[in-house]
Amino acid sequence: MPFLKRYLLPRIVQYLVVIFIGGTLVFIIPRLMPVDPVQQTLQRITIQGAFLDPRAIEQIRETLLELYGLKGSLMEQYFALWRRLLRGDFGPSYVQFPTPVMTLIKISLPWTVGLLVTTTVLSWIVGNILGGIAAYYSHRRWAQLMENIAMLIRPIPYYIIALALLLLLAYAVPIFPVTGGFSIGRSFVFSWGLVLDILKHAFLPALSLAIVGTATWFMTMRLLVSNLLAEDYIVYAQIAGVQDGEILYNYAIKNAMLPQVTGLTLSLGQIFGGALITETVFSYPGLGTLLYSSINSGDYNLMMGITLLSVVAIATGVLIMDLIYPFLDPRIRYE
Amino acid sequence: MKYAGRYASLLLLLLSILVAASSLALAQIGPDIPREETLIVDILTGRSPNPRRFNAWAPGTTTDAGIQQLMLDTLWCVEYAQGEILNVVAAAPPIYSDDYTQMTVKLREGLYWSDGVAFTADDLVFTVETLKANPGMNYQAEFDIFVKEVYKTDDYTVVFELKEPNSRFHTYFLNRWGACRIMPKHIWENVDNPMAFDFYPPVSLGQYVLKDVDPGGYWFLWEKREDWERTAVGQLYGEPKPRYILFHFYGPPERKVIAQSRHELDMCDLTMESLQASWENPGFRTYRKEYPWIVNIDPCITGITFNVLVEPFDNKDVRWALALAMDIVDVMALSFDGAGVMGALLVPPTPVYLDWYYEPMEEWLREFTLDIEVDGAPFKPYDPGAAKRLADYAAGRGYDVPDDPAKQREIFGYGWWKYAPEVAAQLLERNGFSRDKDGGWLLPDGTPWKITITSHPNPAHPAYKNSFAIAQQWRRFGIEVEVVTTEQYNTLATYGQFDVSSVWPAYEPWGGHPDMYRTLRMWDSDLHRPVGEVTYGHQGRWSHPDLDVIIDKLEKIGFDDPELIPLAIEGLKITTAEMPSIATFGYPGFVGWDETYWTNYPGAENPYQQPYQHWPNFKFMLPFLEPTGNK
Repeated sequence: MPFLKRYLLPRIVQYLVVIFIGGTLVFIIPRLMPVDPVQQTLQRITIQGAFLDPRAIEQIRETLLELYGLKGSLMEQYFALWRRLLRGDFGPSYVQFPTPVMTLIKISLPWTVGLLVTTTVLSWIVGNILGGIAAYYSHRRWAQLMENIAMLIRPIPYYIIALALLLLLAYAVPIFPVTGGFSIGRSFVFSWGLVLDILKHAFLPALSLAIVGTATWFMTMRLLVSNLLAEDYIVYAQIAGVQDGEILYNYAIKNAMLPQVTGLTLSLGQIFGGALITETVFSYPGLGTLLYSSINSGDYNLMMGITLLSVVAIATGVLIMDLIYPFLDPRIRYE
Repeated sequence: MKYAGRYASLLLLLLSILVAASSLALAQIGPDIPREETLIVDILTGRSPNPRRFNAWAPGTTTDAGIQQLMLDTLWCVEYAQGEILNVVAAAPPIYSDDYTQMTVKLREGLYWSDGVAFTADDLVFTVETLKANPGMNYQAEFDIFVKEVYKTDDYTVVFELKEPNSRFHTYFLNRWGACRIMPKHIWENVDNPMAFDFYPPVSLGQYVLKDVDPGGYWFLWEKREDWERTAVGQLYGEPKPRYILFHFYGPPERKVIAQSRHELDMCDLTMESLQASWENPGFRTYRKEYPWIVNIDPCITGITFNVLVEPFDNKDVRWALALAMDIVDVMALSFDGAGVMGALLVPPTPVYLDWYYEPMEEWLREFTLDIEVDGAPFKPYDPGAAKRLADYAAGRGYDVPDDPAKQREIFGYGWWKYAPEVAAQLLERNGFSRDKDGGWLLPDGTPWKITITSHPNPAHPAYKNSFAIAQQWRRFGIEVEVVTTEQYNTLATYGQFDVSSVWPAYEPWGGHPDMYRTLRMWDSDLHRPVGEVTYGHQGRWSHPDLDVIIDKLEKIGFDDPELIPLAIEGLKITTAEMPSIATFGYPGFVGWDETYWTNYPGAENPYQQPYQHWPNFKFMLPFLEPTGNK
């Protein structure tokens, strides 16, 4: 009971407050932008050539303000937002009116989750293992080689790595597709052929993310383990003749995992913001380009929907991690 | 050495992954879709966030992935390469009553929807009534304002009774990258909420039907209808050649270059820079096979807009001074290496507009004088030799430029304003401007003159390139200039929150018709709004009482009245003399075509059609394309 009262309940209240503040900020911030969503819609209608009488434009503007729910005061709009959110409804997209924001998110979300969860988890596992090993055997030549490679990759802007992979494996040696999530004309019904096809299309975007992710996790893990190697309990274990493998996995890597697990949680939460550069470079479907276009077009609801999803995901991830820390590190107790 | 084996193993593993991946590689087109029967074209407006939405009557639906080119036809369509209006679903031009309160439309007979139902007047009547009854849908406001009643007199004749005279009511059905399209009544009459209805799978009135769509929103595959002859295009031009059309969004220009190098993209828009890179691609060609490569028929004019409600741009002398402080050859050289057609009028210098306006107005332009004297004579600002200077610049850059002056005028335009910084200085000085000790210009109140140009954020866009090129010209003249590029340029301009903008100095005309009402109307004084309020007219907020009279006269005459051009010329004389915006050059379109699988594109040597894949007119090009036979 003390755990529930002293820790869990306050922590859940804190979690809800974070979401509330996040929701409030994603309501306020887009409205501070110098963009008028109705004007953006009118621009799309008129700039491409269709002729509209100026009187008609004025009438359309009034109608759109009404339909978009932008006619009331800011407070009225704010309360309407929370009424909708409590029903699990982000409202309609302005750009794709009246398509619900959730529908648009559902179209893009599976691609983003599939790509980013896989690459984030894989690069986390590989980066941490290699980083730990490289730190423990830092005097070996192969460990120094790995470290040099990681140090070389990490400062390179992600865009350059992505573009280089595209040029190398889709242009110079054209073995991977230039664009898209799966082959044109292929039926989107489950089959192993479809799975292979999706994997083939995801390979370059995934490889680009994995290279950068692995290098990042590698460097941080190497640093953490290097620091731990000077700890008394490791030195004692070495003197006591404990085998290197056991020291590495049970004494060093395990003790260095806590910040890495927190980092993984935050990374997984950020997935819901999409991977804009990856999606743009590889024309890969996902939430990043959806979020970007919503910002440009002043689609408040879509912007709020994606951002709030990310806020909830990160807050939930951190909450879960807080709760399972004691299982990961016996030194932590909620008493 | 003991690690050599491990490194070798690692390398082998990597190679295995690559080989395995390459063995997985499949053709970009599915096994049932032969490449040689498929035309692959780029989508201009990008990825569709909701790819299964084909409701073209609700705002926001992506229409340039096949809806407007292949699926839905309109009554009429602007054809701007040849300068004509095509009767598409309509059998003839509109017939107005003498007072323009009634419009009769004769429809083409023998057209069928792709599900086999005949297209009739009921579809058009239903479309107008449905849209009028549903606020928020496209054209609801227009039909609410103008349409008193719409009815059919027989299966192929529709009459519109209008609430007030409107000599251009038919232009709501005139396709110029968008117009009111016609709904299949037999589908939509059963729909409860027309705004929310996705119209998927769609029924087509055009010569293709949707075959497949990417759930990620990057591509749309269309297949030729077996009964293609029962469509408007079939009746007008015959059978379209490609069996399949694939609309595919490839993303940034470098991706399109890669796709064309793999022969996975036949038609696309490029940038000046990506076009240069594409020359390496076998089978690649541009609109004009030789320099300056560009599409010179795009009906848009680029340039600079002044916010005339902001000092000192409310002063005509200042606006003219800034025009004379620019050397158009330098501007075009910096923007597009000279590839463009210069235009002094606020009219796109396409071949048809050159004939309609530039040619008849050239004598007037040559004699036009400013209210200032140079060497004791009124100053004539027009420079008919500007195009020749641009041709010389291009030749100096090593490009192959024809010597024939007529050819040079066709390629580079008719002329522009003189580069006359000394006259510009006189114009400013007589309005109280002065120079500091370093030659920098000071406002009449003695403070340094600083101009901020608001511009488009896309570095490939002419507005972006123009803004930096012009900023350099004005800096050279002694003005402090800053360029601000922002995605929100349109909102800022609509609210009047700018000094100078490089986005569209004039509203586009129809493109394929000499009527200038569409352009001039936007400067009508009744659309004037103060800074901070949205304007529905031109963003520069300029107007002139004499132009108001001309706009009124244009409203009262028909679309094909012989007075259209003379009236418009009078209007253009006013806009020239007042210089509310500075026109620079026509929109330089950069198209890239791959001739590996298809040929006979409408290039400059045979401009039988407009050349873009994103315009609705794309459909009219398809019967003329020829397969090369390559497999």
